[in-house]
Amino acid sequence: GGALPTKVVCLTQVVSADELRDDEEYEDIFEDMREEGRKYGNLVKAVIPRPDPSGAAVPGVGKVFLEYADIDGSTKAKVGMHGRKFGGNQVVAVFYPENKFADGDYDD
Amino acid sequence: GDSSSRRRRRSRWEQSNDESGAEMDPEVHNLNSRLLEISRLLQSGLPLDDRPESARSPSPEPIYDNLGIRINTREYRARERLNRERQEIISQLIRRNPAFKPPADYRPPKLHK
Repeated sequence: GGALPTKVVCLTQVVSADELRDDEEYEDIFEDMREEGRKYGNLVKAVIPRPDPSGAAVPGVGKVFLEYADIDGSTKAKVGMHGRKFGGNQVVAVFYPENKFADGDYDD
Repeated sequence: GDSSSRRRRRSRWEQSNDESGAEMDPEVHNLNSRLLEISRLLQSGLPLDDRPESARSPSPEPIYDNLGIRINTREYRARERLNRERQEIISQLIRRNPAFKPPADYRPPKLHK
């Protein structure tokens, strides 16, 4: 997906499950994302799925979701973040279906 | 300052090389305008501490230099405060943009005791 503009931007290939397991690192990553995300518009919500401690597969791990108040913000964020590096990973930014995001469905 | 160790390490986001992008960053913009404001204040020669008497904290014991001139006046402390803030802002601007050219009198905090 990712062709039609939505208010939700999904960053893929951003973080590894290992990084997300560590509480401090997770907080740092979350703060980095919120700080950066706010620069592009009215950031409503940021979601970074974390791996399950049991090791069970959790959909969406490795992705970062940024929800904006409007498509203007999400479009700017997508353009501004796509192709840049985050912790050495080249970020791919796509639009994510709003209804799936609202349902907590991060597996796309 | 003393709080620098509590400060968060730099963002994992790679700074964009695009100059226009850096200028559009509102935080950098705010830092730049505050820096300009402080520089103006310091150079204006105007009283720096314009808080009303009621908003002031109690004065510490006076400290005098070799010549018997008091060095910890309210004005002196206000100036020191602004100078510290100025150095801190410059440090932040450098962190955000390694290509940022600091003013000639800026000293990196680690080299400056």
